[in-house]
Amino acid sequence: MSRPQRRALLATAVIAAAALALTGCSLSASAGDSSASAKDGSTVYFGVSAAITGQYAQYGQQFKEAFDLAVEQVNKDGGIDGHPVALKYEDSQSDPKQSVTVAQKFVNDSDVVLVFGDYSSAASIPASPIYTAGKLVQYGFNNSNPDFTAKGTEYQWSTSITTSASYEWTADYVKKQGVDTVGVSYLNTSDWGVPAFAAFKAEADKIGLKITDAEAVDPTSDDYRPSLTKAVAAKPDAFVHIGYGPDAAKLVTQLRAIGYDGTFYGGQDEQSFDGTPDAEGSIVGAQFIETSTDPAVSSFVKAFKKKYPDEADVTGFEAGAYDALNVAVAAAKAGGITRDGILKGFTAVKDVPSVVYGKITFDPETRRVADPQLTPTILKGGKWVEYKG
Amino acid sequence: MFDTLIAGLLRGNVYALGAVGISLVFGVMNVVNFAQFSFFGLGAMLAWFFVVKLGVSFWIALPAVLVICAALGLLINVSVVRPLARYLPLAAMLSTYAVAQILDNVSQLAFTAQFQTFPAVLPTSNFQIGNMRFGTSDVVMLGITAAVMVSMSLFLKFGKTGRAIRATAQDQEAALQVGIPVGTVQNLSFLIASALGGLAGIFFSLYIGVVSPTSGLNIGMTAFVAATLGGLGSLVGAVIGGFVLGILEAFGIYLFGDAARQILVFVILIVVLIVRPGGLLGKVPLISSEPLTGTFLGKGRPLRIPRWVWPAAFVVGGVLVPVFADSYVLTTGTQVLIYAIIAAGFTVTAGQAGVIALGQAGPIAIGAYTSAIISVYLHVPFWAALPIAGLAAAVIASILASPIWGVKGHYISIATLGLGIAIVAAIQLIVPQAIYDIPVPSIGGIALNTPLAYYVIDFVVLAITLLVMWRIRRSHLGKVISSVGSDEVAALASGVRVRDYKALAFAVSAFFAGIGGSLLAHQYTYIDTTIFTMMMSLLVVTIVILGGVSLPYGAVVGSIILIGAMELLRFTPEWRIIVYGLVLILVVRFRPGGILVRNS
Repeated sequence: MSRPQRRALLATAVIAAAALALTGCSLSASAGDSSASAKDGSTVYFGVSAAITGQYAQYGQQFKEAFDLAVEQVNKDGGIDGHPVALKYEDSQSDPKQSVTVAQKFVNDSDVVLVFGDYSSAASIPASPIYTAGKLVQYGFNNSNPDFTAKGTEYQWSTSITTSASYEWTADYVKKQGVDTVGVSYLNTSDWGVPAFAAFKAEADKIGLKITDAEAVDPTSDDYRPSLTKAVAAKPDAFVHIGYGPDAAKLVTQLRAIGYDGTFYGGQDEQSFDGTPDAEGSIVGAQFIETSTDPAVSSFVKAFKKKYPDEADVTGFEAGAYDALNVAVAAAKAGGITRDGILKGFTAVKDVPSVVYGKITFDPETRRVADPQLTPTILKGGKWVEYKG
Repeated sequence: MFDTLIAGLLRGNVYALGAVGISLVFGVMNVVNFAQFSFFGLGAMLAWFFVVKLGVSFWIALPAVLVICAALGLLINVSVVRPLARYLPLAAMLSTYAVAQILDNVSQLAFTAQFQTFPAVLPTSNFQIGNMRFGTSDVVMLGITAAVMVSMSLFLKFGKTGRAIRATAQDQEAALQVGIPVGTVQNLSFLIASALGGLAGIFFSLYIGVVSPTSGLNIGMTAFVAATLGGLGSLVGAVIGGFVLGILEAFGIYLFGDAARQILVFVILIVVLIVRPGGLLGKVPLISSEPLTGTFLGKGRPLRIPRWVWPAAFVVGGVLVPVFADSYVLTTGTQVLIYAIIAAGFTVTAGQAGVIALGQAGPIAIGAYTSAIISVYLHVPFWAALPIAGLAAAVIASILASPIWGVKGHYISIATLGLGIAIVAAIQLIVPQAIYDIPVPSIGGIALNTPLAYYVIDFVVLAITLLVMWRIRRSHLGKVISSVGSDEVAALASGVRVRDYKALAFAVSAFFAGIGGSLLAHQYTYIDTTIFTMMMSLLVVTIVILGGVSLPYGAVVGSIILIGAMELLRFTPEWRIIVYGLVLILVVRFRPGGILVRNS
């Protein structure tokens, strides 16, 4: 056998081995059993489908830190009726191609009684049918897209405030501040920015808030000056950005650079832009305020900073994940540590302590938090503080 | 008006710096260097690390970052790019993509994935012209760019080494014959390009004010387009391309909005390439071959496949897996199969016609949206929507691609890449909302929505795809298309209408891409445009190249490896992409022509 042939053979062998390994897994793992037995002291597993690598890894990292802290605390307090809690992480890169396989993997893993995630709607919603078929609760704690639950089944739950709720609130609030005209920019993403803007516009039209110009912007763009020049050409009283922290940081800097001085409203994930000097004075409707004097919040913030001394801020993302774990634990306590039990638990839980909402009770119709509230916050000296203007 | 011009100049400045690096490497090595993208992000993160974390002065950090980037660039060139570039530019290009993945993820492990605020080192808004405020920072950036460009051009014009670089760019073999150490020249060029990439990254973060390890991708892409616009290999062209693109983009955004930016960038590119197929200042060689053709087939070591493998593979894939595999493997299998369908269809373009089209996400998206829209709103059943999706993708993509077939070589890859991005951006403009509740396939009212059902459907479609591809290869038509890929000049001389056959091959590939898109849409039951990314296009190309570029069944192997491997590597989440990149580099290094090749 000549050398090239031998090498070629080797290559085939490697591929064959890889293929075998792939199919091999199938023979070992048995099909999912939704009624896992509750042995005494056995560990309760929650799955996490999130981006650990790739462009959304930042959020996956924030979730993980908060989840790990919450798990630590829950287990210190005796877990779920004596059963310790543990998490199984799977990296989906928030890519539907991978989130569906992750979903199937969790469905098949009879130890997993609930799954958190995914980060984006584009990854969560394609996975939903698989979770539903597997009778496994998909807890999209970060899915602000109302359709995640509205178009989902009884297995999709979320504690995230919907984009429509938060941007209707924003429109009302801006108007209440005595603003009559606004320039708007919104992320041109079909799973988030476009529906959020639609909700904002509908509410603005209803209450007589005039939108002088609305610019759809691409979240991956870096230079928004040309769009902004146009958006503020009619000199609106204030500016609203329907988007996230990183784009808001670029946007507000560039908005000031083109000489616009009106109040800047918006940008969720506000902590990513609090270090931006030009963001000073920006106003955001926040669910979670790090500087809040609420004892539950301050003890969470303290514990978080103790565990992660390198993290400068505690944001709504960490708070949301922290809450989510506690809600899941409460549901398991209420309904039992099986897949069925947790599903029942979600409809049963009432007034679960929360660092975001104070207390969480679900509306069984929407499978979202009943009557969520936002608090206006303003950026002062690089810190978000409650704004009573 | 004036404001927009200044905004354009400032962004053009960053593009120009990046474009020069890309053009330089292309000129001396004939390799499109995706790793250059990562140097933007890396340069920015390193500068942030020095200034914010270590408290070093910006003026010390700046040269330090450049030195680190240059050293890394040298390392990459010596270890990965040069060994491949010598005889297979395409494999080198693929490996630079793997290197880029590794660099981004290492940077993410080192600096975390968080967005960081970049400190304002110099005043950023102390001057004003009209409404536009700018600062010392912007002036210094423009000044440094100008200084770098002038010294570069003087160096290239009069310096001994600079002349050696130019000679190498013009004709590598002739340069070698007159005693120019081509290897050293290439190393040097790569080193300079990497340092320029780092510099562009720093400037970019000064200008934007926020950095993250992945922030290089977008700016890198645009710089790449700028380099192409100017003419790959032409440094003056790169500078002009950078500024032209920056300014046109700024005015375009002002007129049409940021949502149209990507469409705009690529429309500009395609128009320029149609008018001047070699870019603004690039030269079009009289006889040029596609980067994939000619020497490519001869390089591969064929792997003889015994006849019994075919029925065996069919039995394993079609009987054993569905019967014995659990639903996780089946779900992974559906993804493998769908990408295999798309990639197998793509082999006729990439392999036979020799056109490496980098924008397959475009036709995939057309197929997915067509299928979703007609089944949701017109209640067309899945079984009819599937072929209609394929046809729509073939027709629409062909019409849109029709102007670009006169473009040659690497330019056609970049034009198709642009086309893919522009198609998805256009869909986003036309259908801004996501599509929900796409009906699942059903027979007689019974929903076929289990992993097994999806797997079987996908398997049957793949089997048909392979059969069709096999028939096409064997037909007269297939031989003609192959002749275009093997030797375009000879084909032209024999009276083959090369352009038309390339377009036809592309249409066939687009058809199967559309089918794949439709399958994805009905399985996900939800689609939005963020699913159809450039990464998706690159994945399709990688699958095809890995499997053996002209072999439809090679695409199946490539798909099993690339999508299966991502699943197999789940045991190490943080290192997954890095290991993936390393595996890719090793495969490309040892089987540069693909795993299954044949030399006929």
